[in-house]
Amino acid sequence: MTVDEPTTSRWMAVARSADPDSYAAGVEAASEALRQGDGKLLLVFAGINHDPKQLARGLAEAAPGVPVVGCSTHGEIGPDGPLDGSVMVAALGGAGFSIATAAAAEVNGRQREAGAEVARCATEVEDRPHRVLMLFTDGLARDQEVVLRGAYGVLGASVPLFGGAAGDGWRMSGTFQLHGEDVLTNGVVAVCIASDAPIGIGISHGWRAAGEPMVVTSSGDGRVYELDDEPALDAYLRRLGAPEEVYHDSAALSRYVLSRPLGVQRRSGLEVRNMSTEVDVAGRSIGGGGDLALGGLTWAMEGDEESVLAATEEACREAVASLDGRPMVGMVTLSCAACRAVLGDDGIVREGARLAEQADGVPFAGFYTYGEIARTKGINGFHNQTLVVLALA
Amino acid sequence: MAQSDPSFQAQQLVELLAVVSSCEDEATATVAAVECAAQTLEAEVSALVVGGRVATSVGFRAGSVDHDVLVGVAPGRRARLEVPGVGSCAAGAASLGDAEGGLLVIARVGDDDFSVAEHNLIRGMARVLGLTLRMLRTLDAERRRQRLMRHLYGVQRAISRRVPLQQILDTVVGGIREVLGARDDMTALWLLDSEAPGQVVLASTAGLGKERAGRSWRMPVAEAGAVGAAIRTDQLTHRTGYEDAGAALRDLTSRRLVHSLAAPVYENGVVAGGLLICRHHDDRDFMAIEQEKLLAFAEHVSLAITDARTVRDMHQAMQDSLTGLASRALFLQRLQEELDQADQAAGRTAVLFIDLDRFKQVNDTFGHAAGDLLLVGVAERLRRVVRDHDVAARFGGDEFAVMIRDVSDAEHAVDVADRILAALGAAFPVPGGQADVDASIGIALGEPAELDADELMRRADVAMYQAKRTGRGHAVVFGPELPAGVGRDSMEVDVRRAIEQLTDTWSSSTFA
Repeated sequence: MTVDEPTTSRWMAVARSADPDSYAAGVEAASEALRQGDGKLLLVFAGINHDPKQLARGLAEAAPGVPVVGCSTHGEIGPDGPLDGSVMVAALGGAGFSIATAAAAEVNGRQREAGAEVARCATEVEDRPHRVLMLFTDGLARDQEVVLRGAYGVLGASVPLFGGAAGDGWRMSGTFQLHGEDVLTNGVVAVCIASDAPIGIGISHGWRAAGEPMVVTSSGDGRVYELDDEPALDAYLRRLGAPEEVYHDSAALSRYVLSRPLGVQRRSGLEVRNMSTEVDVAGRSIGGGGDLALGGLTWAMEGDEESVLAATEEACREAVASLDGRPMVGMVTLSCAACRAVLGDDGIVREGARLAEQADGVPFAGFYTYGEIARTKGINGFHNQTLVVLALA
Repeated sequence: MAQSDPSFQAQQLVELLAVVSSCEDEATATVAAVECAAQTLEAEVSALVVGGRVATSVGFRAGSVDHDVLVGVAPGRRARLEVPGVGSCAAGAASLGDAEGGLLVIARVGDDDFSVAEHNLIRGMARVLGLTLRMLRTLDAERRRQRLMRHLYGVQRAISRRVPLQQILDTVVGGIREVLGARDDMTALWLLDSEAPGQVVLASTAGLGKERAGRSWRMPVAEAGAVGAAIRTDQLTHRTGYEDAGAALRDLTSRRLVHSLAAPVYENGVVAGGLLICRHHDDRDFMAIEQEKLLAFAEHVSLAITDARTVRDMHQAMQDSLTGLASRALFLQRLQEELDQADQAAGRTAVLFIDLDRFKQVNDTFGHAAGDLLLVGVAERLRRVVRDHDVAARFGGDEFAVMIRDVSDAEHAVDVADRILAALGAAFPVPGGQADVDASIGIALGEPAELDADELMRRADVAMYQAKRTGRGHAVVFGPELPAGVGRDSMEVDVRRAIEQLTDTWSSSTFA
């Protein structure tokens, strides 16, 4: 259990409960996070083992009337390191914040509409100079970037977007999202935070291009069938100089591709596309990270623990740098479930230490996601295998 | 790879082409294109301007798109624009190279203007977008043409299958609205009221809303806007707003009518009404292709109305005009069909030949109008006795016939005859008093594959004569004991008739 004390007119405090009883964990984490004052918002990140209804009930019991937004995870991140199966709560409070929340259910097939629906909560917050819309989506749903396009259509460029896609501990059977005492699957929950002080967002990934680009010669429905007129999986592995075993051993292949996403060129650099979750060994195609345009160029990318940890620090620094020198009151740190696989159990502990070092004593909370959300420029906001950090001054 | 690298630019154009050409229609493609263009240049604002208006845009807060600012960005020149809540943006624009003067406008937050390479990229994207939209418009037009053909074919099939007229009219009226593809449009078919000259009634509508569609609507032709003008001039007619329109049309369209277009519809070549399209919000005028579509649907309405009229006329030719019962011709046709299809296991077919007794006296006493009324009354009582799938007919004068399907034996037929006699036994109210008539009924049972309709009728006639001879007011079943040569064709019948008329006259005291 760790508790961080509120110190300013805008404060953030975090608390974790490892109690396996969902109701009790909700009561304990919320009570501790709100120990120093009345909160305005609870952000909740919980292991998929928890009963979301009991958890929501516990949170409501400990913090009646306080808005709750959160989701299930692939591991919870906090000042005391990463942990599976816990309940991590971040409480925001103080006069300097104004909060409004929203939720949309049954998102599949109406992603854009759902994004627009939740974004409208931004009209309900008080007029403050800084705002962000934080969203938590279902990590198993398709076309999550379209949810963000829907939100962008309502908010325009004036409000940055931040958040993550809920995980389910690699069960791949269903995530949950929390909004007050409502529990959603296939939903999107959102909170608009308006603040008197700056809100910073950092985005970074640790991947670099390996060799020359390849031309996408056959693709569709989120899959890449051919690269350079060859079966995509073979062209991709050859470009990376993959060891012989991954061509035949599917377990070795899964491990190998997890840490080697594809990249597409954007104005400010390569954008990462996770291609590991839907590898078709028999059909020799790769997929999972959204469409790659036919005729476009793509790069095989690689990285390692050190490059991922460097990205962690970079994202934190970028977020803090956006605070215009104002003291930070807390951070929300979202890292990718695929990066966690690259880092391993020891690596995520080291990642936690780097986060704590960057936080420099202020509370932070987050989780390992199935997709990261951060839009600060342009209109794109959905990322793969990336670390995104929100810093609140 | 730098943004100025030609291969980067080519890749971005390929990506835009892939995104836009994967779209099903122009509307989806324009949204995808402006988003893709913004993504390519990492810009916050992207817009498609058509005809001096912003058709699609991203980057502004919903409802706060600044049309003037976006339209004001000149193609090929460096510009800056202010986006509310975002600040000063570098802006660039390029022409789509299409006939509509389309313009792609991009704006990015920050102090740095777009580079020359980026301006080139905007130009390339605008051209790709222009070409792709043209292709989609062509495809869209082809899809719309196919949809029109599918609808018209559906209407033709419904007409040929003699689907109920109202159903066909509803299909046409719904179809034209779907083919024109405007959600707020209303389509309606108005037909001249045959009972109120100079009035039209609403025969079918689509897009009106449940409550309004459920009401009965009528209006004078002179106040029917485009429909009235189409009927009067026998031409396709366009009206703006409520020109030539009265209160009913204003009420029907909730005073939202912007444009209306009507085509006359015909019954047997004579104007019978008008097919109407109403446009509520859109201030766009009707295009030539839409006018052609309306005419095509109007022709199909004419076809359906004329066909329904022909069917009605044919039906009337096969009906007795006074009583509405089947005519002799229809009865014999149905009887022959029944005998041809008769299934022995299902039972036999019986014919009951009914001749009214003392009918002439009704005519003589109360007049022919009363006689006609009595015949209508007899028909009504016959209808009540026979089942739906049996056939009752009037052969002329005071002669009726009934075909009973699936009778088990002669007793079954006699039972029906007795019920008919009982039904006719009660007095008929006629102007000036009450009329009592009896009936003599001859029954003949069909023998499948052995008898034709004429022979069965002859046997029933012989049996009916026997009933007359043996005391009236009862039924006789044809049997081998009856003289085969006796019947309505024989001279004896004529004598019988003469005697009957005399006796009817003598017993005039029967009538009150």
